Amino acid sequence: MSRSGSASHRKQKSESLVEVCSVRVDKTLFGIPIQHILEIVGSTRPQPIPLAPGFVGGLIHYRGDVLTTVRLRYLLELPPLDGPQDILVLESAGGIFGLLVDSVGEVLTVSSVDYEPTPSILDERRRALLDGAYKLKDRLLVMLDPERLDPARLGAVRAA
Amino acid sequence: MDDLTREFLIESQEGLDRMERCLTDLEERPQDKELLGEIFRSVHTIKGTTGFLGFKRLEKLAHAGENLLGQLRDGKITAGATVITALLHLLDGLRELLKAIEAGGSEGSGDDSDLIARLEELQAPAQPAKAREVAAVRHAHATPVIKVTEPMAAPVAIAASAAPPEPAETATLTPAEASKARNQAATAESTLRVDVTLLNRMMNLVGELVLTRNQVLQATAADPNMTLLSRRLDMVTADLRESVMKARMQPVSNVFSKMPRLVRDLTHALGRRARLQMEGQETELDKSLLEAIKDPLTHAVRNSLDHGIEPPAVREAAGKDPEGTLSLRAVQEGSHVVVEVSDDGAGIAPEKIRSKAIERGLVTPERAAQMGERELLQLIFLPGFSTAAQVTNVSGRGVGMDVVRTNVEKIGGKVEVDSHVGQGTTLRMRIPLTLAIIPALIVRSIGQSFALPQGALSELVHIPPERAATAIEWMEGAPLYRLRGHMLPLVFLDRLLMPGRECRLATDRDNFICVLDADGRRFGLVVDSLADPEEIVVKPLSAVLKDIGLFSGATVLGNADLALILDPGSIALQTGVSISNEEESAQAVDDESEAARMRYLLVEVAGRQAAVPLADVLRIEQLPFSRIEYIGYRPVLNFEGQLLPVEDSGGILAAAQADPQTPVVVVICRDGNRHVGIAVSHVLDVTSGNNLFEAGTGTRTEGVTLLKERVTNVVDLGGVPPLPATEDAPESRQETAEVLG
Repeated sequence: MSRSGSASHRKQKSESLVEVCSVRVDKTLFGIPIQHILEIVGSTRPQPIPLAPGFVGGLIHYRGDVLTTVRLRYLLELPPLDGPQDILVLESAGGIFGLLVDSVGEVLTVSSVDYEPTPSILDERRRALLDGAYKLKDRLLVMLDPERLDPARLGAVRAA
Repeated sequence: MDDLTREFLIESQEGLDRMERCLTDLEERPQDKELLGEIFRSVHTIKGTTGFLGFKRLEKLAHAGENLLGQLRDGKITAGATVITALLHLLDGLRELLKAIEAGGSEGSGDDSDLIARLEELQAPAQPAKAREVAAVRHAHATPVIKVTEPMAAPVAIAASAAPPEPAETATLTPAEASKARNQAATAESTLRVDVTLLNRMMNLVGELVLTRNQVLQATAADPNMTLLSRRLDMVTADLRESVMKARMQPVSNVFSKMPRLVRDLTHALGRRARLQMEGQETELDKSLLEAIKDPLTHAVRNSLDHGIEPPAVREAAGKDPEGTLSLRAVQEGSHVVVEVSDDGAGIAPEKIRSKAIERGLVTPERAAQMGERELLQLIFLPGFSTAAQVTNVSGRGVGMDVVRTNVEKIGGKVEVDSHVGQGTTLRMRIPLTLAIIPALIVRSIGQSFALPQGALSELVHIPPERAATAIEWMEGAPLYRLRGHMLPLVFLDRLLMPGRECRLATDRDNFICVLDADGRRFGLVVDSLADPEEIVVKPLSAVLKDIGLFSGATVLGNADLALILDPGSIALQTGVSISNEEESAQAVDDESEAARMRYLLVEVAGRQAAVPLADVLRIEQLPFSRIEYIGYRPVLNFEGQLLPVEDSGGILAAAQADPQTPVVVVICRDGNRHVGIAVSHVLDVTSGNNLFEAGTGTRTEGVTLLKERVTNVVDLGGVPPLPATEDAPESRQETAEVLG
């Protein structure tokens, strides 16, 4: 409901509340609707995969499955971070995957009233990943769309 | 749908499957009362239950069939080809109705009166005049409309496994199968139906358990207090895994049994004559794999009948039996089941493939000109390839072989084709016994672990640092290794994974070459080091990573590390390793077996050199002394669930007794049908031996050979006394129980 919540909000102005997990990458605070989060795996070092595309951060073992992880830093063109990182296990239409972030913060409840669509002045690359933002008291919570971070989709975009 | 109806559907389908098998057999043995009885029962059961459930169409159709079958059973009419064709149509009709019920809960509103009329019509012929009159009057309206057409005038003999052309093999199977069928009814009470999804889930959970076990074993290896417990966990896990896998196993006869009908129909449609032979129907395969080979097998049979076996006239002109032979064979070979479809038809002419492949633009003329016979044959698996001069509705649309290969490779199998012009074609499918768990060798490169499936691994070559500089030969920049006189192309795993690295062997540590054979492409994969062999649970990779094309999956190792599973076939393709020539590889095999006869594993036993014939060596195990158990005073080893005696003439085990963690080396050998272990101090080398002849007499000396210039004793495997017959297992169990208690 999160995504459709934020999208549909653009049409109707009535207030609805959305629970969002906040994650930090570099200096930005990103948010992911909690419905898409299966689990948060703390400080893990994924197994690197030789010859994999740059956005792939390696493999992790998650409840009997082997998951591909996506490096958010790479997608945002930030330099890679040394040492273990936090991983969000996300569920998208295409399956389950891991998202590597610097650190995971608290769960915030935000109101649809504070929602702003992604501004057009952002570069193409970022606009393709981001899904608007919520205005918090002192800063912005930039929303990520799990569907657009799915490795299968990123792979297809890269190939095209 | 209620349970009753569901049960009825399952039972009826099983009954019809049985009926189909019996019908094709019946054509061979029209007088067989048992077959007739079986067919009658299948139809009768359907009729009985269906009346109760209220499926009117089904009841009427089954009733008509039952009447005809009743007369057949009572010997009033005989089962000729016409009758059998009609009964097969009855079978199809019943199946269709069952399918409709399964899909929509009702029979639909079709009309079966044509089929019913035809079944009733057939009841008449052998009857005395009076009865015929009655029948004729009853169905006078139907008679002129019916044309029972048999395209073949010649008798079409389709023998299932029942036909005894290969007396030794088939004859022994048939009674077993027949009794199996008879026992089926008796065992019905001790079996129950289980949902496949539940079995799948159990299989996944067992996979997880295997992973956990591997991790527990590694974590507790250093702790002597845990040895017994972890060993027990190991055994229970292995047993459980085997049981769950067994629960999913089904005999290939489930798929083979569809073939007699297919062959019957196709031979009629194509005007061929063929005898079907089936062997090894009791061979078992995982259910999902069995499902997966159904289509490829059907395609292969179609192809054999359409393109392989020639029309009778052509065969006769070529001096062959006008009736062709199509044989299906299943046999288990280690962790694989080999399913073969072979015919004694025209074979595939390599020249035809060459010209067709060029015509279709599948290869360039230059490339085609270079290809050897074996490589050309592989082209038939390319999409869009078909050599049939005419496109028939049976095959020839250029999809068959491509589909066969794709389907078989999807489940981790392999397809090979072997053909000789004028003699026939054999298609061989190698199917893994199970999908989920495979034995693999863990190798290391670029600081990571990788799993190499044992199936493709033929041998390992160790190159010590001092030989590293000279071991590789170069031909225009391509690294080659001389393996027993043959040049083996090398692929450096580190260089493959991190392009730009230099191809060379390390001079400061050991190097290992894994000799791989992937679809006839032989090459050596150079890795940094070898870790233990492990049974790995295959986990699928996401599409992005599969696209890299080197990995077939991933797995979790005993030390909880993740490892990517290398795909030897793809590596060969990516690095351009070509298929070795048939002559060459045949030669190599000959040489190898010749060499193996005189090659020995050189070992040291308490300071003396001894030799074990290499061909008898199965494995070399290094294990802690605690793995050795004693039956009385005899040391034994529990190896892959089997107890084998360990020969300890050198007193190595006795010396290791002080500390249960002392590693001991046991060479596991084959001695006829049994396995024996030889405790040795070290394994020294593999080397060729020369037979020694006694001076003067020229008689070959027994039990000694000349190895590395030294006369060496050959271990007499047959001399290892067998274990006592019955007391072994309880005794060792008891010991364990006491310690645990």
